Amino acid sequence: MEIISNSVSVDRREPMPAYQSMRELGSSVESEQAEATSSEFEPTLGNTAVAKASYKSKEDESELVRRLKARDEQALEIIFNLYSAKLYNVAHRILGEVADSEEVVQDVFWTAYRKAQSFRGNSQLSTWLYRLTVNAALGKIRRSKKKKEVEYEEYLPKFQKDGHHVVRPVVDWSDTLDERYANQEIQQLLKDTLDQLKPVDKSIIVLSDLEGMSDKEIALTVGLTVSAVKTRLHRARLFLRGKLAAHLGHCPR
Amino acid sequence: MAARKMATKVLNNKTCKQITDLVYAYLNDRLKPAVKRDFQQHLRICPDCVSFLNTYKKTVGMTRSLRAEDMPSKVRENILDFLRRRIRKTRASA
Repeated sequence: MEIISNSVSVDRREPMPAYQSMRELGSSVESEQAEATSSEFEPTLGNTAVAKASYKSKEDESELVRRLKARDEQALEIIFNLYSAKLYNVAHRILGEVADSEEVVQDVFWTAYRKAQSFRGNSQLSTWLYRLTVNAALGKIRRSKKKKEVEYEEYLPKFQKDGHHVVRPVVDWSDTLDERYANQEIQQLLKDTLDQLKPVDKSIIVLSDLEGMSDKEIALTVGLTVSAVKTRLHRARLFLRGKLAAHLGHCPR
Repeated sequence: MAARKMATKVLNNKTCKQITDLVYAYLNDRLKPAVKRDFQQHLRICPDCVSFLNTYKKTVGMTRSLRAEDMPSKVRENILDFLRRRIRKTRASA
């Protein structure tokens, strides 16, 4: 099993912890499973009755972070209950695979527990966790051999010297998509197209259009300027639009 | 003064390329009122940009409607098991 190894190269806001490989951390997962069932020790983690609580204020979050830094297992559980489902969504939307997403979320919480000291409080805890998740997912894609990204250029709008569209008329296919495809087909078509985005751009689309984050939050999460996030988001949307147009038999430009 | 006049002229005569560049800000309602007026004026006379805007909005809308995959309960349990084991191991070795 592979654990988070690299921070994304564009992340300069808060130093990422130096991740370790599973081998460096100790034994394999299989041997640990045997250990878990034979032990008399009953850890707090997972006893959800203990930690159903949420927190609402910044003071509460500070206290939770303080407890996490003190290696308080209940604090980890509260954070897990609050964020694991959301972080899984992000990981799964970027990676598309259950096993990979599980590994990412697992690594994020283990890192949050071990490396809580590296969280300086410059951003919200949630932003830090999202950042760990996106970085881990991007790291996985970088190491993967299944790269599907394509050049954007031929799917972006093209203009004449006077600034008008090269191909006219531009076809308005916005009303025809729902007629031609069942909902599931559209979803699959979009997922396939999203997979062709550059991984960072895909992450930005996921955080913006799927998770509803503001441009500023995304900038903090992926370690880019707000302006760069806007530019990448717009360009990625243009690419998606072009790909959909081409799929429908229209000129993508 | 001449530069200002030129800038005003360009804003009042937006090209399709400029409209495309401004779509993101327009949809987020972040255009200055004067620019927004020019943007909308262009749309009134350019069916190509109306088509472009509609298909751009449709793309964003479709992306936003993608369903999230819920975290399977098995995955949740697996992760909690992993964390328990790791924490116990760390404590044992401390």
